[in-house]
Amino acid sequence: MPEEAQRRAPIPPTPESQPEDKQALEELRHLIVAPEQEGLHEIRERLDSKERRAEDISSVVAEAIQMRREQDGDHALAEALAPTIQETLRESVRKDPQVLADALFPVMGPAIRKSISESLRSMLESFNEALEHSLSLRGIQWRIEAFRTSKPFAEVVLMHSLLYRVEQVFLIHRETGLVLSHVVAPSIATQDPDMVAGMLSAIQQFARDSFNSAGQETLGSMNFEALEIWVEASPDAVLAAVIRGHAPLDYKLAMKEALENIQQNFSSALANFSGETGPFRAAGDRLHQLLEARFKEKLGGKGRPRAAIIAGAVALAIVVGWVGYSSYLLWEWSRFLNALRLQPGIIVISGRKSGGRFRVQGFRDPLAPDPEKLLSEAGFDPKKAYLELMPFYSVDDVIVLRRAKELLRPPAGVRLSQKNGELRAEGVAAPKWIAQFQERAPWIAGVNSIDVSHLQNSDHVEFNRLKGVLESAVLVFPLGRTELEPGQEAALAQYENDFQGLLVQAGHLGGTITVEIIGHTDSTGVEAANLPLSRQRADQIFKVLRRAGVKPTNLRPRGVAASEPLRTEDTEAGCRYNRSVTFKVAFSPAPPVH
Amino acid sequence: MLQKKVCMLGSFAVGKTSLVRRFVETIFSEQYHTSIGVKVDKKEVRAEGRDVTLVLWDIHGEDAFQKVQISYLRGMSGYLLVADGTRQQTLEDALALANHVAEMMEKIPAVLVLNKCDLAAQWEIEPDREARLAADGWSVFRSSAKTGESVEQAFSQLTLAMLRK
Repeated sequence: MPEEAQRRAPIPPTPESQPEDKQALEELRHLIVAPEQEGLHEIRERLDSKERRAEDISSVVAEAIQMRREQDGDHALAEALAPTIQETLRESVRKDPQVLADALFPVMGPAIRKSISESLRSMLESFNEALEHSLSLRGIQWRIEAFRTSKPFAEVVLMHSLLYRVEQVFLIHRETGLVLSHVVAPSIATQDPDMVAGMLSAIQQFARDSFNSAGQETLGSMNFEALEIWVEASPDAVLAAVIRGHAPLDYKLAMKEALENIQQNFSSALANFSGETGPFRAAGDRLHQLLEARFKEKLGGKGRPRAAIIAGAVALAIVVGWVGYSSYLLWEWSRFLNALRLQPGIIVISGRKSGGRFRVQGFRDPLAPDPEKLLSEAGFDPKKAYLELMPFYSVDDVIVLRRAKELLRPPAGVRLSQKNGELRAEGVAAPKWIAQFQERAPWIAGVNSIDVSHLQNSDHVEFNRLKGVLESAVLVFPLGRTELEPGQEAALAQYENDFQGLLVQAGHLGGTITVEIIGHTDSTGVEAANLPLSRQRADQIFKVLRRAGVKPTNLRPRGVAASEPLRTEDTEAGCRYNRSVTFKVAFSPAPPVH
Repeated sequence: MLQKKVCMLGSFAVGKTSLVRRFVETIFSEQYHTSIGVKVDKKEVRAEGRDVTLVLWDIHGEDAFQKVQISYLRGMSGYLLVADGTRQQTLEDALALANHVAEMMEKIPAVLVLNKCDLAAQWEIEPDREARLAADGWSVFRSSAKTGESVEQAFSQLTLAMLRK
C-alpha cells in the first residue's frame, strides 16, 4: 500500500505560506479523514457504552450459543454455563420451589415408575432363578454343595448363575439403526453386524408399535435358547450385548454406565450423525471392556475331578471307618462279656448282638457289681444294650463274705474270711458279738461251717492282762522287818486299782477270784523266826488291801519263809527280792444260781 | 466409513424383494416380512470415490400403509420407491406414499423404480407420465428383477443424491 500511504501522508508546511496553507490543509484533512473519524468515534462510543454493547450482543447471543454448541467437542460451553445454571436452579428453588416442581412434574412420574419397575423386574428375575434351581437335579447338586461347603444355598446358585460369556456388543445409532461400533469376542462367528443391528432396531420398533408405546422405551432383553440379548438405550444410542449364559444383573449396570459415558463423550457426534462412523471408533475401547467371560467348562473341568476324588475319599473313609468301628465295637463287646463272666455274683448265659443292640442274659446276685456301671466303664451306652439278669444268691466265696459282712457287721478288731464254704473270724471281740456270730453265721447262704478258733473274748484278754500285772508284782521289805521299804507304798497303791479291775473282769466272766498274798524271807536267820516274819509281811499287805476296800473273802494271806525263793541269793539284790510279798491269782466260776 | 439407512417402499407384490435379491447381501429369510413387516439387507456401493454401506430396510408392502410401517422409516437417509409398471395403481399408491413421507419428514432423497419392464406388452405407464415425474424431480428407472436392468444405477443414483444433500 505504498501509494495509499503517500496519498494519505500530510503535506509538510512551508514557513512563508503558513496561515492560508494551514486552513487549506485542515479542509483537506477534513475531507479526507472525516468519515473515518466519525466511524471510529461511533465505534468507540459503542465500545464505551455498556448499553450499546449489550444491545449488540443480545442480537447474536442465541446464534452464537448454537454455533458454539455445534462446534463444541470439548464441552467448554456446557462447562462454562453449568455453574450459572446450577446457581440459577438453586436460586429458583430457594425463592419458590413450586415453579421448578411444576416444570419437572411431567418427567418425574415416568422416571420413578421406570426405576421401580426395573428394580422389581431385577428382583423377580433373581427370585425366579432361585426357584427354578431349587427344584432341578442341578439344584439338588447345588444343595449338596451348599451343605458341603456350608455356604448359603443362594450364594451357590449365584456362583453357578454367574457363568456367562458376552460374545458381541453393538453400539447402534438409535434413530437410524446403523451400527456405530461393534466388538466381538475372539473366535465367535457372527453375522453381518450392520444387518443384525438393523434388524434389532426393527424389532425394537416393532415391539414399540405392537404394544402402542409412544415413548422412548426399549425392549430390555431378548432370549434365544442359551443366548440373551440385553439392550440399553440412551437418547441417541442403543447398546446391545449378546450374552451366552446368564450374566449377573451387575452387568446391566456396567452397560448403563458405558452407555452414559458414550452418550456424554459423543453427544454432538451422535446428535449430528449422518452415517459417518469414523468418530465412533474411539468408543470401541469402551465396548471391549464389556466383553466379559466366565467359563462354566473351565470351572467345572477343574472342579469335578477334585470333587469326585474328595467325594470318593470321603466315601472310602466312611466305609473303612464304619467297618473298623463295627469290628472295634464287637471286639470291645466280647472283652466286656469276658470281664462280666469273671465278675463274682454274675453268671452270663448268653451275650449276642440282635437288632443293632447288644443283649446279655443271665443271673446276678444283688451284691454283685452294677452291670450298667460296668457297661459305662467299658465305653458302651447302657441305653443301647439290653441286660436281662435275673436275681439269685451266689455261693461264690467273695459274695458270701460280702453277704456275711453285710449281715454280721464285724467290729474293728475282727477280720472275716471265707474259703470253700467256711467262714472264719479272727481277732478280739466282745463276748456278745461272738455269741451273735456263732448263732447267726451258719444261717447265711453259702456259709457251711464257721471257725472261731482265732477269735478271742475281749473280757478274757483284759482279765489275763491284769492277772499278769499282779502276779509279776514284788513288794520288798527291809531285813527282818514287816513294813515295806520306803517308796513301795506308791507301787502298792497302783496294785490296789489292778485288784479292783480284776474283780470286775472276773464278774464279767461269770466267776470270782481268790488272790493268795504270799510272804517271803531270805534264807538268813532261822526257819522258826522266818516263818512268822513272812506271815506278818503277808498280813501287813492284807491289811492295806482291806483298807482299800478289797473283800477279805477274796484274799488269802500266807507265809512261806524262804521255801519259795524268787531269786538265788548270790547277791545282795537277790536277797532283797526274797524279802518280799507276791500275789497269785486263781479264778473260780460262780456256783450256778437256782 | 459411511453408512446410510435406505428404505424400500412400495405396494404389495410390486417386486421389491425380487428386484434387489441378486444385488444385496442378506442373512434373513423373507419370513421376516410377514412376521414383523421388515427385513434388513445390506448393499455396498461406491460413489464419489467413497465406499458407502447402504443398510436396506425392505418394508413389507401393504395397500393401506400402516402406522407400524411408518415407524420403520425413522432415521432413513433416502428411499427407493418401487412400483409395478404393469399396474398403474401401484404407481399412484407409491406416489401417495411418497407424499405421506414428505409430510412427515424433511425432504429426503429418493428414486422411483418402475419394475417389471421385461413385460413390455402389459406396460401401463404412459411415457409422458414418466417425463412429468422426471420434471417433478424424480429420478425414474425402469428395471427388471429378471434381467437386473438398472438396479445398480438406481442405487448409485440414490447414493449420490444422499451424499450431495
